[in-house]
Amino acid sequence: MPISLRLAWRNLWRHKRRTWLTTGAMVFSNVLLVFLITWQYAMYGMMVDNSLRMLTGHFQIQHPAYFDKPRIENSFQLSKSTLEALENQDGIDVLVRRSEAFVLASSRERSYGIQIIGVEANKEASISSLPGLLKDGRYLQANEEQIEIVLGSRLAKNLKIKLGDELTLFGSAKDGSTAAAIATLVGTLETGVQEVDRNLAFIHLEDFDAIFAMEGEIHRVVALTPSVDSVDTLLTKIPELGEDVVVRDWNKLLPELKQSIQSDMASSWFMYSVLIILVAFSVLNTQLMSVLERTKEYGIMMALGLNTLRLASLVLLEALLMALLGLLLGIGLGLIVVAILGQTGVSFPGMEEMAAEFNIPSRMYLEIDLRSAMAGPLLVFSASILAAIYPVLRLRRLRIVQAMRAP
Amino acid sequence: MFKSLLQCSGLLLCLILLSLNSHTLLAQAAEPPTESTPEIQAKAILKAAIDNWRGMSSYSEMTMRIHRPDWERSVSMRGWTRGDKDSLVRVTAPKKDIGTGTLTLDKGMWTFSPKVNRVIKVPSSMMNQSWMGSDFSNKDISKADEIVHSYSHKLTAIHEQDGHKVYEIEAIPHEDAAVVWGKQVIRVRDDHVMLSEAFYDQDGILVKRMDTLEIQELDGRPVATRQRMLDIEEEDHWTEIILHTVDFNIELADSVFTLSNLRNPRD
Amino acid sequence: MNISLLSQLAWRNLWRNHRRTFIMLSAITIGVWAMIFMTALMRGMVDQMVENGLNTFTGHIQIHHENYLDDPAINNSLPYPGPELIAELNNSPAWTTRVRVPAVVNSERESRGVMLMGIESEKEKALSFLADSIVEGRYLKAEKEKGVLIGKKLAEKLETELGKRIVIMSQDPDNNIVDVGVRIVGIYQAELRATEEQFIFLDQGYTQKILGIKNQISEIETREENFRDLAARKTVIESKLEQNQKIQDWRHLNKLLAATLGMMDGFVLIWMLVVFIALSFGLVNTLIMAVFERTREFGLMLSLGMKPRLILSQVLFESLFLLVLGLTLGTGLAWLAIKPMESGIDISVVAEGMAKMGVGATLYPSLETRDILTANLIVILLGVSASFLPAFKASRLKPIEAMNVN
Repeated sequence: MPISLRLAWRNLWRHKRRTWLTTGAMVFSNVLLVFLITWQYAMYGMMVDNSLRMLTGHFQIQHPAYFDKPRIENSFQLSKSTLEALENQDGIDVLVRRSEAFVLASSRERSYGIQIIGVEANKEASISSLPGLLKDGRYLQANEEQIEIVLGSRLAKNLKIKLGDELTLFGSAKDGSTAAAIATLVGTLETGVQEVDRNLAFIHLEDFDAIFAMEGEIHRVVALTPSVDSVDTLLTKIPELGEDVVVRDWNKLLPELKQSIQSDMASSWFMYSVLIILVAFSVLNTQLMSVLERTKEYGIMMALGLNTLRLASLVLLEALLMALLGLLLGIGLGLIVVAILGQTGVSFPGMEEMAAEFNIPSRMYLEIDLRSAMAGPLLVFSASILAAIYPVLRLRRLRIVQAMRAP
Repeated sequence: MFKSLLQCSGLLLCLILLSLNSHTLLAQAAEPPTESTPEIQAKAILKAAIDNWRGMSSYSEMTMRIHRPDWERSVSMRGWTRGDKDSLVRVTAPKKDIGTGTLTLDKGMWTFSPKVNRVIKVPSSMMNQSWMGSDFSNKDISKADEIVHSYSHKLTAIHEQDGHKVYEIEAIPHEDAAVVWGKQVIRVRDDHVMLSEAFYDQDGILVKRMDTLEIQELDGRPVATRQRMLDIEEEDHWTEIILHTVDFNIELADSVFTLSNLRNPRD
Repeated sequence: MNISLLSQLAWRNLWRNHRRTFIMLSAITIGVWAMIFMTALMRGMVDQMVENGLNTFTGHIQIHHENYLDDPAINNSLPYPGPELIAELNNSPAWTTRVRVPAVVNSERESRGVMLMGIESEKEKALSFLADSIVEGRYLKAEKEKGVLIGKKLAEKLETELGKRIVIMSQDPDNNIVDVGVRIVGIYQAELRATEEQFIFLDQGYTQKILGIKNQISEIETREENFRDLAARKTVIESKLEQNQKIQDWRHLNKLLAATLGMMDGFVLIWMLVVFIALSFGLVNTLIMAVFERTREFGLMLSLGMKPRLILSQVLFESLFLLVLGLTLGTGLAWLAIKPMESGIDISVVAEGMAKMGVGATLYPSLETRDILTANLIVILLGVSASFLPAFKASRLKPIEAMNVN
């Protein structure tokens, strides 16, 4: 084998320019694919991460009926020990409890029906990005006498209240009794997404519990894991929590997130395949040329006793070597590009608006991820090898005598 | 996601009281002229009832029982009504809700909670919830006079039951009436006690029904003292209103139906 | 040697190794096809986004009360335009006014929060998708209309249907609750489900009567000649407005749309260049091989006195022919591929996700002449330049050495 290898390698460099050009096509598309796919997956990752880090988390524990009918009475209770056991389980970073209710929020001037969320103020920042998006004032703090509330900036504006002003909350409690409270605005949040900023309202979970007569029951336990990819396997390991609760992963909670990724993926891969096909044609052409032009040489080799199979493997080996060269150089250069862009960050005009819509930052710092870096180049590699098959098949038609007479 | 929450007990009770009134008042209405058509009879019954109803007032004490497959809850209340627009209701039990009140005037609805000591005007977006998780939708009850004003009525049957004549009146909402139902069928006894009211959707399917379960003599006249609103489409969901006392035609000061009385009860 | 002879020679040379030419031709064809086809798809998508965006009650220019966009309450309304403003608005190809307030609709079993639109039914036709999208029943009559138009999706959610009554609740400027029963006279279907769930339509006069806002509206919307250039129109109209009225164009009202449109041209060009570069490696390679094969021949020609310039031209001609053939085939194929799709491609498989981008379940590719021209120009110009190197090499061969190659 080493002999064929050396032979193939030498054959390749008999036509330096041709080999380089073909490899160049591979390297070009590989670098491009490494960059694009890394970018693409980084963006998806970010979209998923940022969307999930708003409120959803990686998975949630809920009352079975809560997803379809988010009514206040569809609540559940998890004992402290169960919660602690869960939190200590491998693969779960944070767990927070939340409750939600629909209330009438009234200032002196205006009233709006809003969704109010009771949160564990000290832990919320570790699972949600919202506490970090403070515009004015501060987030909820523990151990305050009064009932504190944090609102979306637009909601506060529409209610015409300022920090320190009071807001009346009015709704019905879990037991059907009147739920009413006066809360003091301590801070406003701004996500930049109008719809969100018009609807957010947070109070302490303890206050929520008292106002809405929850008696320790809650509506969601939201959990964060080290990464979205580990959720599926993790969920299989979660112990049975009882009949009153179900575990729902982010896919179930935010189905449109995955769908928008899938549709984007479909159109991207269409473009990538065009690139890959073009490269394959380039390889096909090169290999075919190199086979045709060496007809005489092959004739002689066969006359000397080399069988078609050996000859075919020799030609394939050439293609393989070339593809390998393209693969390695492509990935190498691609990674360098990604690494540089990881330092400088990538942005383009219009990205800011996109960013606001899709929950991504307006400048992206790419990170090297071998899996996404390999995907494109490996496809180019396989396509190149496939493209070499046709020229190899042509070898079978070679007739020794005619071949030797070839120009 | 809009949660059931609205604090419009006043309306609910208002409806019940007003309908009590109206049915009671049927007594004072002339007996339907026997020779005319059923349509005209029905109209005559209701017209007379409405004419007599205006300016009427009442005071009552009652309990509401909300029943669900897994829980049940009772709320006791006192209510005042005047005419077909004004009503005031105040919760007397359970303890945590004592003092919660609702005032309904011609164009608006206000609610008061002693917990926060505030009066809040209820906006339209909140008008549509079922009340306190009961089987009364605010839509049915927020316009108590609607059953008279916004419908055309038809006397569809008269039968005998327990020695009483029972009139069955079919009420169909006017084109622009703020009513979602296709029709309502009301059964009234000749002593003007309402026996049932059925709510049909626009395909003629029964959606919910209010039945009178007990009738007693209060303040000198027979009154439906226990009524149950039954949700036909959800099993074991119902709400009962139990009337303990009622005084009709009492003197009520104008100050009863004011925001300041809602906030600081003077009774 | 004249051009016709030169090109004849080049043409024949092209077919001396027809297999190689075919392969290269297919590569160019696929590349050009991909350039044009993909661009048509992307343009179709963006066109649709823009069209949908502008058609969905955004228009080109809108005028509101200065607080309306922050707080779309009934109190933040403006009076119906006076004669002076109307005269100015009439200079736009189309304009209309709307009452646009939040409301709640109820059926027997369900209730939903919606946006209640009080429209001038005749004028509205020129500005939004609505009039053309009635799938059941009819559009609003111009006069004495008390019926409501609702979206198909909303009808499903409310469990109601054409001909049934629903109840609309909202509030008047004094915060009093107003409600009314209305009959569904028409059901519309929009590209986006969210739109179908969000908007219901009543006659404007009737809406004003219900809400108790005589002659008050929430917005004025215009459609101009060219949605890309609105600055001048904005200034003119603005001069006719009251102090507390604010004029904005669609770029402001829908920032994402504006950004996407802005990115599109750049993206198309980049895509074409990328495809071309991938293509050019093969092209140059093929030419180099073609030249290499004929080294002896070129040597002979040179030694017979042929000018290097003609050799250069001959190779360039070969490349040009190859490119032109590929372009013709690629463009033709792209056209063939797109033509049958012009009635729309069903992308409902991924529609849920696309909806976020403002694209419906059907994609209409848009084949634009300027994109075809760009693709062809890029391929021809860059293709010929890329061929320059092998051609130049061929023309610089030393006759003696060249003739001695095997």
